[in-house]
Amino acid sequence: MSPASTASRVPVEERLFSLVLALLATDAGLTKAEILSTVQGYRQRYSRSGDNSNLERQFERDKDDIRELGVPLETIESPGESGNNQNLRYRIPRGDYELPADIAFSPEETTLLNLAAMVWREGSLSAESRRALLKLRSLGVTSDDPIVGYAPRLRVRDAAFEPLSAALEKHVIVRFGYLKPGEHDARTRTVAPIALIQHRGRWMLHAADQDAKGTRNFLLRRIVTPVTTTNTRYEPFPPEAMTAAIAELEQIWRDRTALVEVVPGSDAATRLDKRRGTETAPDGALTLHFSDLDLFADELAGYGPEVLVVSPPELRDAVRSRLTRVAVDHG
Amino acid sequence: MAERQAPLQAGDKLTFLLSLVPFLMDHDRISVGEVAAHFGMKPEQIRDAVRLIGVSGIPGETAQYQHEDLFDISWDDFEENDQISLTHRVAIDDSPRFSAREAAALIAGLQYLSALPEHADRAAIASLMAKLSRGASAAPSQLAVEASDTDETLSLIRDSVTAGVQIEFDYLNSRGERERRRVDPLRVESLDADWYLRAWCHLREAVRTFRLDRISAPVVTAEPITHRAGDVGLPDTLFEGSDDDLTVVIEVATAAAPLLADYVPEGAETSERDGRLRTTVRVSHYHGLKRLIAAMPGVAVVIEPPEARRAVAEWAAAGAARYNDSAPTGG
Repeated sequence: MSPASTASRVPVEERLFSLVLALLATDAGLTKAEILSTVQGYRQRYSRSGDNSNLERQFERDKDDIRELGVPLETIESPGESGNNQNLRYRIPRGDYELPADIAFSPEETTLLNLAAMVWREGSLSAESRRALLKLRSLGVTSDDPIVGYAPRLRVRDAAFEPLSAALEKHVIVRFGYLKPGEHDARTRTVAPIALIQHRGRWMLHAADQDAKGTRNFLLRRIVTPVTTTNTRYEPFPPEAMTAAIAELEQIWRDRTALVEVVPGSDAATRLDKRRGTETAPDGALTLHFSDLDLFADELAGYGPEVLVVSPPELRDAVRSRLTRVAVDHG
Repeated sequence: MAERQAPLQAGDKLTFLLSLVPFLMDHDRISVGEVAAHFGMKPEQIRDAVRLIGVSGIPGETAQYQHEDLFDISWDDFEENDQISLTHRVAIDDSPRFSAREAAALIAGLQYLSALPEHADRAAIASLMAKLSRGASAAPSQLAVEASDTDETLSLIRDSVTAGVQIEFDYLNSRGERERRRVDPLRVESLDADWYLRAWCHLREAVRTFRLDRISAPVVTAEPITHRAGDVGLPDTLFEGSDDDLTVVIEVATAAAPLLADYVPEGAETSERDGRLRTTVRVSHYHGLKRLIAAMPGVAVVIEPPEARRAVAEWAAAGAARYNDSAPTGG
């Protein structure tokens, strides 16, 4: 039996678990050769005299996978031997691996975290939440009351979300085709992602545009090509960059208002009145806040004759031309 | 491909193993059933994990995985009584930290929930987020979700779900009909920025989904509910098809197709050409369809049946006509 087929009997999780245990137990670190020749799941496939390049590649992939799970696998150079790859030593420093002893979660907090995890029902964030909950359960706290009759949910339907979120994590520049409203062709943007933000129910990428030299917000639904991830890394942005972006979005929303007339008792009157920040004039006209003129025009067009935009003129024109377009498309 | 997909599953299993060990360390003797309930897993998954932990360990000084280098459990008690007690442990002392993305997923979930009525204590949420950041192995990724809007209707409905009492309100359906409804509230759900109530409607004698922004004048009654979520078979999906649904063929820009995903029945025939997708959607009536399509100008077009096209065309034309004022129509 060849070494490879013997090794396939050691399940992947057993190999990864054994690797984590071995690297946690060592202070000085283990060299790659030591790992491959002694750790369960590798040693079965290790050849003392032959070529171990397949096994080395396996180890490289395992390292990446383990790090992605939040295990701080670190590399240290042997003193006086910098630059010699074969003598790099690997270990998992206990202090960086273990949850700090003073972090505990109360039953109420556990309930809240269960709910926060439930919010993600699809995509990679749902897998991340599930793993986070396993770690939370590890602490042994049970939630004080089960959540009944409650199912808040966030969705990530834009195809661009997953690659952008991976790029954000790895701090690498991305490229994508972005179609601005009113333009016919998508333009390629090269950006350094700063944050993914859901504002008013829509996902947005806040990023540093490499060509325009400034930060921009990109609506994920206007990204019309697959996202290309480059190998170019960028310096991570401080958390304040995201806070500032959120404040800016909020400010834009606050500054932009529209005056609309609604048919009393209609769907538009009922629903628009309930939007955050809406003011109703004595004559029933509504002052509404919005972030993006084109998206807001789409939304208002859906109400058909129930809404008449009074101002601003750009919004009035946008809604009118949309309705005309829909009528023509269906004529 | 299989080689790349396998580690994902294995990653979950590894996380579970690393979480289970500290939990077992805190419990001298615990049944498989209790552990399964605590972690929300199947008893067999717990047994598999325990069997693996029981034979795992570190290479040790001899690099031979000697007995003292391995975990050990009371095997007899485990095999005969389905009870787990860890009798020897190696390498692991404590629960693992969250990964940057795990912490980010939970923090973003908390942001979304933070404005909800029962989480009035903003300071408690802030301190919980800070704990997650501190408990992560790297700075949490930059992911932000705006706090969901909240109003008195939501908090009234939440109270009535918790208390198990009927609630009454004015409801304006998408046909534009306003009726006083009395319902047994079963579940409050949200999708991004929109909130819904799933309830047994006494008027229709069936389960119905109500948009919260179409509910007015809610009153919580003292009457206990007569139907429970378990009795009526409340489906998991928010948008339910019904036999009375109308089938409509539409053409939609491929990039925008996910926006209509809720309306496309399973197994619908689709074809794609020139970046446009032709597919079938199911709607309960054309009143809903016209609003949906008018809000996607230039993006989605109804192909057939003719009545559906006419409903959309008339809706949009009536909307556009409101802007003509004194100007002659027909342009």
